[in-house]
Amino acid sequence: MPEPRKTPSETPVLEVHDLHVTFRTEGGLVPAVDGIDFAVAPGQTLAIVGESGSGKSVSSAAVMGLLPSNADVKGEVLLDGRELTKLTAEELRKVRGNEVALVFQDALSALNPYYSVGWQVAEAYRLHHDVSKKEANARAVRMLDLVGIPSAAQRARAYPHEFSGGMRQRVVIAMALVNDPKVLIADEPTTALDVTVQAQIIQLLEDVQTEFGTALVLISHDLGVVAEVADDVLVMYAGRAAEQGSVKDIFYRAAHPYSLGLLGAMPRVDVPPKHRLTTIPGSPPSPGSIETGCPFQPRCAYTERVGERCITERPLLTPRPGEGNHEAACHLGRRPEIAQEVARTGIQENAAPEGAPLQQSAAQESAPLEHSAAKAEGPLQPSAEESAL
Amino acid sequence: MPDLVWFVIRRLLATVLVMLALSLAVYLIFYALPADPARLGCGKPCTPDRLEQARHFMQLDQSTMQQYLQFLKGIVAGRTFGEGAAAVQCNAPCFGYSFPLARPVTTLILSRLPITASIAIGAAVLWLIAGVSLGLGAALRRGRLFDRFAVGFALVGVASPSFLVGLLAILVFGFWLNMVPVNGYVPLTDSPVDWAWHLVLPWVVLAALNAASYIRLTRAQMLEELNLDHITTARAKGAGEGRVVLLHGLRGVLVPIVTIFGLDLGGLLGGAILTEKVFSMQGLGELLISSVGQLDVAVVVGVTLFSAFLVILANLVVDVLHGVLDPRVGHA
Repeated sequence: MPEPRKTPSETPVLEVHDLHVTFRTEGGLVPAVDGIDFAVAPGQTLAIVGESGSGKSVSSAAVMGLLPSNADVKGEVLLDGRELTKLTAEELRKVRGNEVALVFQDALSALNPYYSVGWQVAEAYRLHHDVSKKEANARAVRMLDLVGIPSAAQRARAYPHEFSGGMRQRVVIAMALVNDPKVLIADEPTTALDVTVQAQIIQLLEDVQTEFGTALVLISHDLGVVAEVADDVLVMYAGRAAEQGSVKDIFYRAAHPYSLGLLGAMPRVDVPPKHRLTTIPGSPPSPGSIETGCPFQPRCAYTERVGERCITERPLLTPRPGEGNHEAACHLGRRPEIAQEVARTGIQENAAPEGAPLQQSAAQESAPLEHSAAKAEGPLQPSAEESAL
Repeated sequence: MPDLVWFVIRRLLATVLVMLALSLAVYLIFYALPADPARLGCGKPCTPDRLEQARHFMQLDQSTMQQYLQFLKGIVAGRTFGEGAAAVQCNAPCFGYSFPLARPVTTLILSRLPITASIAIGAAVLWLIAGVSLGLGAALRRGRLFDRFAVGFALVGVASPSFLVGLLAILVFGFWLNMVPVNGYVPLTDSPVDWAWHLVLPWVVLAALNAASYIRLTRAQMLEELNLDHITTARAKGAGEGRVVLLHGLRGVLVPIVTIFGLDLGGLLGGAILTEKVFSMQGLGELLISSVGQLDVAVVVGVTLFSAFLVILANLVVDVLHGVLDPRVGHA
């Protein structure tokens, strides 16, 4: 097993600056991502959250250069200081799967049904290493073993449909990690899985991250998972950053009404179930349909309080109180106003008064759900339940 | 692989049953025709006496059911028509005897099969290569000139009658340009070069017309395949475009292509009637047509059953290949 390559540090390995993605369609130009910035350091986890269509997946595909040819990508994508958007097709190919790897949402459709899983993992290795098939196969078996596939040497010869959902996702993770990438982008890696298996996969991702010092970009709409594994969070809305900051900034000092709405819509086990889950009224706008003002304004409960500005002026990311680079794009300047509102919606546990000590750190351990249960298991071994599937 | 062996054995047994049922049906249909094969064999002048003699000799005076059982017995043990010095021997497996041609049907089929097989296999290889590569190119250049050309070509191919295209090809390449022989067949064992040279025109004509469905199928399946998630995975792994298209994309298109290829080839091996007629090749199709014209029922039944057997066999081969090509298909 390789030594950890790097200890966690604050120098970002992947930096994205002012990323714009526009699709040319028959109906005209459709902006999908409208200027976002993020960075992630080795051993750190950045979570990108938001509803469907907010541009999360498009952003990650843009980083990998995997968007279809009708997509225009503008902005900077820096991997260790190297500009990825300016690479030739062949240079980019050498980056994909080698330095930046992807884990997909649905492992069944992400794996090729016609090849054995061992072959597919070995292929990923051979694409970037000049080794014999035999060596690549041995490497594939080691990776499958590492991610917790029981009797890996034998199972490597099996086909994707012969695995359970959780085991398949382990295969996909093994395939992504086989080249020891600097950055791992996991696009909703647990959405297609059972809750107990979800916890195991998240645990696996955390373990390999610790092991390899990989920078992890986790795209998710599961705030329970985000709270548990993320260091930093980027909340996206309609292709823009609504709010970004450390995980504590977002969970305890959320400054954007949309972030609060997401938090309020999350089921919790530490709050007595006397309230219905709050929902955000309406649905997200199609990107680009709101040209002036705040894209969240039609669904926002605070528009009246701010007034005309929400309709006429686009809010920019401005610094907010917090641990570091906490920023939110909202005209609502002062937090207490939100806190009052939050008090009525029953998620006041989240809304610590400004500057209050973070007494929730204990709550955070137990709060988001079942994932903590899985932690008790052996480091990279699946539970008996999953193996039996 | 024991699963596969059992699967083949089961399917072969089923094939025997299907062939039995089919042979009975074919027998009943053709012998119920208001034609009397004995009339052809009774010589001139055809007195009722001689007709009755001929009928007895050909064993046509028995009931249809008895004749059918004789036919089945002939397959296993062979048959003898008539007695003494005039007796005609038809050795097992005897699929009937053609009195007009004075040969057992089995011998006739085996003598014609190499010609039909030469035409069919050569053309099939050509149309498979041409159809799949044109379809692949069309899918990769969707909406562009190449795509339109390929799809247009496919449309013309589907719509064109083979006798017309065949005759035009003979006229243009055979007579006007004098590039290739216009008819005749040279056995492969005599001279491989002459064999191929005489077959070029029928190959190209058959291939051009049959490639159409392969262009369309490959194009449609490939477009679908390239939209699948595992193609994105292949790109995300760092596979180059060629590898993505051929190893990950085309691999998924293989199963439907093999399916129609097997069935098309199986059907064509039973006789490429129009092509053989146009290019004056003495193949199975030509044998069938001339036998129908001469009311040579024994040959018609034999060739029909043989063609049906080839189609059933092609189905079996296709099913076996399915299991080999698609790991999700089991043969249990």
